[in-house]
Amino acid sequence: MLVIRRRAGEGFLIGPDIEIEVLEVSPTRVKIGILAPGALPIVRKEVLPTRQENLAASRNAPPDAIDWLSRKLSQCGPG
Amino acid sequence: MPRLVSKYFGELDYSTEAAFQFPEGIPAFEDQTAFVFLDQPQTHPLVFMQSLGNPGVCFIAVPVFVADPAYRPNLSPEDLALLGLSPEPLPQIGSDILCLTLVTVSEQADPTVNLASPIVLNLRNRKGVQVIQPSAGYSIRHPLLAREDLVPCS
Repeated sequence: MLVIRRRAGEGFLIGPDIEIEVLEVSPTRVKIGILAPGALPIVRKEVLPTRQENLAASRNAPPDAIDWLSRKLSQCGPG
Repeated sequence: MPRLVSKYFGELDYSTEAAFQFPEGIPAFEDQTAFVFLDQPQTHPLVFMQSLGNPGVCFIAVPVFVADPAYRPNLSPEDLALLGLSPEPLPQIGSDILCLTLVTVSEQADPTVNLASPIVLNLRNRKGVQVIQPSAGYSIRHPLLAREDLVPCS
């Protein structure tokens, strides 16, 4: 991994089109500004697993799974 | 009553009380900004999170307490702001907010719920977000029916 040190107000470029600037630094967080082409998706890294799980959860439920699940949960769950 | 086309139940009437705006969608479905929560007696306690914009997008959810009776959501200041909630007093589940978790079901594996990223609904302004709380110690694939394996029920 490339490591560079920057202060608030400084920045760097990735290729010709992407500009990253450090806007603000506090003891626990940094505020970062990103200038990039609109078509380029930018996501917070911690969102990726949720993204993948949402795609899995959106697939068609197998036949009978809905009946089976609701029957099992209403037998055993507090609801 | 308005009508919608649902993924699992065909055409349905729904109450506007059950419709929530998701200003940012949810991850991977950022363009779906309105969902109706269908809670039908025959499929209780499942709740179907049906997109109003796309009949093909529907998630199966359960209230978090069905999966974990001791569950506590961890709302960041950004989440609270998106929901239009203030941090004090702490919003209460049931009266101020509802907290659901999405179920993943497949042929290959036992059903799991995503307790790391609950769906939180503000009952007062009908806004919703999927909260991303990776450091709260909850699993993204928490077994939904694990308790049943340990404690046989009637």
